[in-house]
Amino acid sequence: MKTKPFALLLSGLALAAAAHSAPTVERWDVPVHSKKLANGLTVLVSPDPSSPTVGLSVIYKVGMRLEPKNRTGFAHLFEHLMFQGTPKAPKGVFDKVITGGGGHNNGSTRPDFTNYVETAPVSALETMLWLEADRMTTLDFNPATLKNQQDVVKEEIRVNVQNQPYGGFMWIDIGGLAFDKWENNHDGYGSFVDLENANLEDVKAFHRDYYGPNNAVLSIAGDVTPEQGFRLAEKYFSKIAARPTPAPSDFREGLNTAERRLVQSDKLAQVPAVAAAWKLPDRGSKDQAPFAVLGELLAGGDASRFYLGLVKGKELALNMNSLYGLTGIWEYDGPSLFTVFALYKPGTTADALLAGMDEEIAKVVKDGVDDATLTRVKTQLLANWYNGLENFLGRADMLARLQTLWGDAKVVNQIPGWIQAVKSEDVQRVARTYLTVANRSVIDRKPAAMLAAPAAAASQAQQ
Amino acid sequence: MNTLNKTLLALAIGLSFQAQAAEAMKMPPDLPPLGQDKAIPAPQITKKTLANGLQVWVLPRKGLPRVDFVLALRGAGHGADPASHPGAAKLLAGLMNEGTAQRDSKAIAEAAQGMGGSVGAGASNDGITVYANALSAHAPAMTALLAEVARQPAFPEGEVKLAQANALQALKVASAQPGFRAEKALNEAIYGDHPYGRTQETEASIQAVTPEWLRSEHAKRFRPDRALLVITGRLSADQALKLAQAHFGDWKNQGSALPELAAAPTQAKPQHILLERPGSVQATLRLGRPGQAASADDQVALRLASTILGGSFSSRINMNLREEKGYTYGASAGARSFRDGGAIRGGADVRNAVTGASMEEYVKEYRRLGQEAVGADEMAMNKRFIAGSYLLATQMQAAVAQTLANNWLVGLPPEFLGQYVPKVQQVSPAQIQAVAKKYFAPEDQSWVVVGDKAQIAEQLKAYGEFKTP
Repeated sequence: MKTKPFALLLSGLALAAAAHSAPTVERWDVPVHSKKLANGLTVLVSPDPSSPTVGLSVIYKVGMRLEPKNRTGFAHLFEHLMFQGTPKAPKGVFDKVITGGGGHNNGSTRPDFTNYVETAPVSALETMLWLEADRMTTLDFNPATLKNQQDVVKEEIRVNVQNQPYGGFMWIDIGGLAFDKWENNHDGYGSFVDLENANLEDVKAFHRDYYGPNNAVLSIAGDVTPEQGFRLAEKYFSKIAARPTPAPSDFREGLNTAERRLVQSDKLAQVPAVAAAWKLPDRGSKDQAPFAVLGELLAGGDASRFYLGLVKGKELALNMNSLYGLTGIWEYDGPSLFTVFALYKPGTTADALLAGMDEEIAKVVKDGVDDATLTRVKTQLLANWYNGLENFLGRADMLARLQTLWGDAKVVNQIPGWIQAVKSEDVQRVARTYLTVANRSVIDRKPAAMLAAPAAAASQAQQ
Repeated sequence: MNTLNKTLLALAIGLSFQAQAAEAMKMPPDLPPLGQDKAIPAPQITKKTLANGLQVWVLPRKGLPRVDFVLALRGAGHGADPASHPGAAKLLAGLMNEGTAQRDSKAIAEAAQGMGGSVGAGASNDGITVYANALSAHAPAMTALLAEVARQPAFPEGEVKLAQANALQALKVASAQPGFRAEKALNEAIYGDHPYGRTQETEASIQAVTPEWLRSEHAKRFRPDRALLVITGRLSADQALKLAQAHFGDWKNQGSALPELAAAPTQAKPQHILLERPGSVQATLRLGRPGQAASADDQVALRLASTILGGSFSSRINMNLREEKGYTYGASAGARSFRDGGAIRGGADVRNAVTGASMEEYVKEYRRLGQEAVGADEMAMNKRFIAGSYLLATQMQAAVAQTLANNWLVGLPPEFLGQYVPKVQQVSPAQIQAVAKKYFAPEDQSWVVVGDKAQIAEQLKAYGEFKTP
């Protein structure tokens, strides 16, 4: 239910509206300098002196997919514990120092990675690097902070899931339906039982196994030169010893071969909603860029086919939102989903909405995309891509994500070309391959009162 | 929405720390000190007023090949919504890009998409803002589209009907969220029958809208002599002014301007309201009282006080309720200021069992800010946080344009943007204490709680007699 955002960010291209499907783009490359320290830490620096500030991202290649099976929600709980102090910097120091440096910080947990981000005036850079290195080294494994963050995470789940209409079903429950392997289909927020069972041994083991420099990427963007960045990284991180990282389990799974459907009852909602999700191409597949174009064509805002067809044309849905798992189309490693989420009107059904989507998909499969439309969609996609790199935090974080997932942050400068190269027949091919009924998982989420009504009517009829 | 974050930045401000420990915290001996601060650049604005009264401000930027436009219409927002049409400015703004004299909604959306940008509008208390952005190569075409949307919206019957039908459903969706209900009740408690107190739409107000009403409101509210156009991005001041003249120069006022809004109340009798939500696993706590207008004398001190108390992750309220006690995912508090008044608001969503305990901490923290002088370390931390946040916000051109436009809407001079940080640095602990006494006295706050009465009613008793409307 995002309102239309003020277009947020940007970075560097000038498109001349061409009549064919390849917008002429003034190339804008993000400078990427990388270096691997002896302990395996990959350091990225993207200099930009236009503002006396920096963005910083430290990404560890572990997320919900690799958390212990009897500890759902552990990767996220652990993310919280990374802010709870170390032997050198007790609880409170981390946040207070960054706030006092004029900065903001946060962290988030996704299936394939966990990121820790800061942005601040450049005067706080060295201080922030010290803090990041300190918590990469070790934590203050402390029962009081563990208990405190177990409580905080439970409140997070209450406020975002249990006490919210729809309860995040379009990003939590949908994965449980669509995927077969535990790594991909369990709830990343976790069960209260598993969260409560987490103990300090678990915390120590997770930090030891997954939070070593060899399993991490440090990325800095903004008012810093590559020489400065590498020197500071060496100064603060090179003393941290590498630690063996467990081999990941095999979490890959193919496309689905039969449609999956689920009806959920929602005690809090008053308006029904549907989430339809299709498994995505593998990361790095030749289908990924065409899928990015297809996703934008079908669900990218007010000019998209789904919006024009179902919110406007057929007037079945209130809105149309699309998601790529918990990240974006370029930021996953294991299986992920293209999910379309819509609130629909009381006079219609999930089936009618799905039929309307299928109609739009079928048009693409049959006719492809005309040049003018393809040009427009690519233009928007390129503008969105550069927008996401405007601020230093977003830039540093995207580079760290690409390095972690693709093994090469320079992919940042290849993606625009991949988008440009997509042809109508590529879009046709991916629509035909991935957006099938067989590969689709659907949750129809209905207000409890709506579900009770037919049941009540039926029982009255029997009397 | 779809990430598991350490924090939500709540209530339009950032989000902690044991207040007692704030002063006494020992820093690691080998923690490197902060480096030399670089000067904070004040934005260089080229200003021109067109013959019709439209003010145009331009901030050329070298960064991105992108242009951003913000057209702010003063007095066109919720303040202008009649009592019969609460929240109607939202529908008016939402329908601006759904059809003009020349183009239908699809053509508008596709034109914006082809420029790699967007055009749309939003409503706030003090105005409607029409915003647009595009790749800089399309600056002329986007200026034309922006002018078309702002000056000639058609409000086609079919689009209006569809927007109404969807707004009625969206109101049901929103009403299922405890925060939305709390916000509405708190607004009423703070502002009474001032227009600021009824910014949320109702079923009746949505149904009351017609294309004719929208057209007549548009004519009344959209006037060049009450408008500001901010243009920023990769274009020259000269080019931007030429575009503004070409597309807005012949825009004319129609009829007489709407009367200026009366001042919002500065005092209100505290109310205690419990909105029932059976089965709720949390109590949604909100508290508030009238605040002050954005141009008031002690605005800067009030903003700093808000930051200290509940405006960042490291603020007292969040540190206490989240990091020390584990009652909530995030707690915040602070002032919101508009052109003709403002509000002091706070709140947190907490598990049922700690409803009363959480309220007690709010009361303690509100009171302490007025009773004890804030120490030097905490003052310095919060001042630097505000300065840093300003610098970070200026990284993004759209944010700069929006801030300038919003400051103008609420009656602040353009210089305020550049003067704000130096002024914050001048604020003394005594001034913080004074504004805290005035605005954060616990006994002056109204409380709104949304939750399961059976689970929490007993805990509320210590804080007043809660009425369930």
